[in-house]
Amino acid sequence: MNLNLKSDKAHTFDAIVVGSGMTGGMAAKELTERGLQVLMIERGREVKHIEDYDTAMKGPWEFEHRGKVSIHSAEEYWANNRFGTLANEETGPFFTNDQKNPYIEKRPFDWIKAYHTGGKSMHWGRQSYRMNKKDFEANAKEGIAIDWPIRYEDLEPWYTHVEKFVGISGQAEGWEVLPDGHYLPAMPMSAPELYFRETMKKKLNRPVTIGRVANLTKPQPWHTDLGRASCQYRSKCARGCPYGGYYSSLSGSIPAARKTNKLTVLHDTIASEIIYDEKTKKAKGVRVINQNTMAVEEFFAKIVFLNAGSMNTAALLLNSKSNRFPTGLGNDSDQVGRNIMDHHLGVGANATVEGFENDYIFGQRPNALYIPRFRNWGTDKKDFLRGYGYQGGASKSDWKRGIITNGFGASFKEDMSRPGTWTMGFGGFGEILPDPSNRMFLDKEKKDKWGIPMIVFDAAFGENELAMRKDMMTSAVEMLEVAGFKNVTGFNRQDTHPGLGIHDMGTARMGKDPKNSVLNKFNQVHDCKNVFVTDGAAMVSSSCVNPSITYMAMTARAADYAVGELKRHNL
Amino acid sequence: MNRRTAITHVATMLGGAFSAPTLLAMKRWEGRVPAEGFPAEFTLTENQKLIVAEVAEMIIPKTTTPGAKDVDVPAFITMMLQDCYKTPEHKSFLEGLNNLEKKQFLSVNAGQRTALLQQVEIDSAEEMKAYQVQQTKMGDNEDREQMAAQAKGLPFWRLMKELTMLGYFTSEEGIKSSFEYVPIPGKLEMIQMKPNQKSFAY
Repeated sequence: MNLNLKSDKAHTFDAIVVGSGMTGGMAAKELTERGLQVLMIERGREVKHIEDYDTAMKGPWEFEHRGKVSIHSAEEYWANNRFGTLANEETGPFFTNDQKNPYIEKRPFDWIKAYHTGGKSMHWGRQSYRMNKKDFEANAKEGIAIDWPIRYEDLEPWYTHVEKFVGISGQAEGWEVLPDGHYLPAMPMSAPELYFRETMKKKLNRPVTIGRVANLTKPQPWHTDLGRASCQYRSKCARGCPYGGYYSSLSGSIPAARKTNKLTVLHDTIASEIIYDEKTKKAKGVRVINQNTMAVEEFFAKIVFLNAGSMNTAALLLNSKSNRFPTGLGNDSDQVGRNIMDHHLGVGANATVEGFENDYIFGQRPNALYIPRFRNWGTDKKDFLRGYGYQGGASKSDWKRGIITNGFGASFKEDMSRPGTWTMGFGGFGEILPDPSNRMFLDKEKKDKWGIPMIVFDAAFGENELAMRKDMMTSAVEMLEVAGFKNVTGFNRQDTHPGLGIHDMGTARMGKDPKNSVLNKFNQVHDCKNVFVTDGAAMVSSSCVNPSITYMAMTARAADYAVGELKRHNL
Repeated sequence: MNRRTAITHVATMLGGAFSAPTLLAMKRWEGRVPAEGFPAEFTLTENQKLIVAEVAEMIIPKTTTPGAKDVDVPAFITMMLQDCYKTPEHKSFLEGLNNLEKKQFLSVNAGQRTALLQQVEIDSAEEMKAYQVQQTKMGDNEDREQMAAQAKGLPFWRLMKELTMLGYFTSEEGIKSSFEYVPIPGKLEMIQMKPNQKSFAY
């Protein structure tokens, strides 16, 4: 073997972070700020903050199909578009072409990918809620799957740490079900929403709050230091925000990491394998393939953070075979790739709201109302486990109402230039229970164009989720009816699949026992302690709250621990 | 509408009804069949083009502000049918045009044209009942309309209405003359309507 020492040195870092999305960015920030030289590997193309947000400032007329998806594009982005229109002309740059990145479905799975700098942090919904104390205890109490090896208190300081950095607008409410964090000023509710909140409190004793969202309502010095400015209320976040108004890896963690001068980023670089050293019993680095040139290289580090997104992180573990780990790195328990969770959605209700004719809104609120979980909470008891939260709100109808109402001509045209009546609606996000038979694995024969085994999905909603969905629709209808709204219509889409919530998680769960889990309580792979997994793969249960802030808190905690362990010469 | 479009759009749901051509992609998946080829080029005769233009202009006529023809809505409609719709909609659209051709739409007077369109509108409302339009809240703060997949395309009138309004109200002149166009609001405020308040467009 030819040893090129100079090149070896150029290929050696203190830490390698695989992925540049929500958690990869946070890992890079936390590790570089603690003095480590970090190599970040991103499999997709480079996106530069602001200058590459090609669609951000376009007027509606500058999109050829005016927001509709062409048949050609729907074929290319088939997973994104088979339920709706996730990837369209406005947001397409931050979703991934499914035809070029195919996967196999034993049972259907909506795998929404984001292969570019910033990953899914570019298009996320920005809703940021802490999991509550009971979320961490429920598995143990109910005998579901395995217990979390950590409790709320372990993550609490790290929630605070990342919330302040990210910048989350919201209202502290003092509710046990939705622990308060550190918030920038809350966004206002509209008149019908304020009425709805009061009515729900009085008549159903159900709390309603304004969404806790990662948009800056009042930037703090550490935000402006990174070039971030206040939200402009355009609500075109998913095109990329030239103001840095919402948090993404590109507006937040990556610039923070770059400030340390300790970050190196490689784009178009697919991690194919973690290189395991049988002598030291540790990972020594990562083998990568350039997605364009197909060139294979190796990079080395003392620690490796896997933040490729739950499915790709698990695939990378499974593809990293060695004498010690013949079925994939860290897969002694056979749990890698299993226990896929997400949040199930596409169920809720809509209504029209009479009155409030003179109330209107200036600006587009990139946020919604939040109705925290009330099922199986306190004295409530249902015939399913866990619960769900609702997101939604009220708005005044615009010209689109005219598409299905009768009328045409001069007065119709004039009428369409004015706001119509208010409507209100919301949809649920339901907890999914971990189930080892919900899984992904690598196909034994089929490989992608880079020679990496293709991912096969084999997952579906279970009885608990299906029972919960019925209640999600019924309760939504009930709430809108109790509020006195009209034309209340429930919906419960039957054609959604796991994955569509884009909260996929659970494929390398933490646990106390290496026999039934992949990671320990500091997100270290059992028996390969210098590999940390801190994306959604680490989750042991899903709660019903949007998960990104939890992933980020977990990442910051693990990074702090990893650097401590390096200093203590334990890694 | 993008995945994270503001919840302020929730309301557009009931009225705001875009059809979903992409359902075809879903159908393809459900049937586990290979992708269908794209439909043959969608073309209209000169006479049909004239009807499309006249109907669009009758939906959004020139008043003190531009009309559908002024902002090239007729060409937009043809392009959209070609790019975003498949054979069922092509068929139903042509069926609607043939129907108007038979009734000498271009030859009759303005009052008779209006009466013809009013009848088409009534018939279309009846046909639409078969489509089971449903609004769905999707993603963290987005919603969209879904319809059960239908063998028969959406009715001509529905397509004309949708594409005329979309083409007009998202055109630069259409937006700026119809609404208070505020691409960068800079603030979020709950306000009271002024007399003759126009919609804000963003």
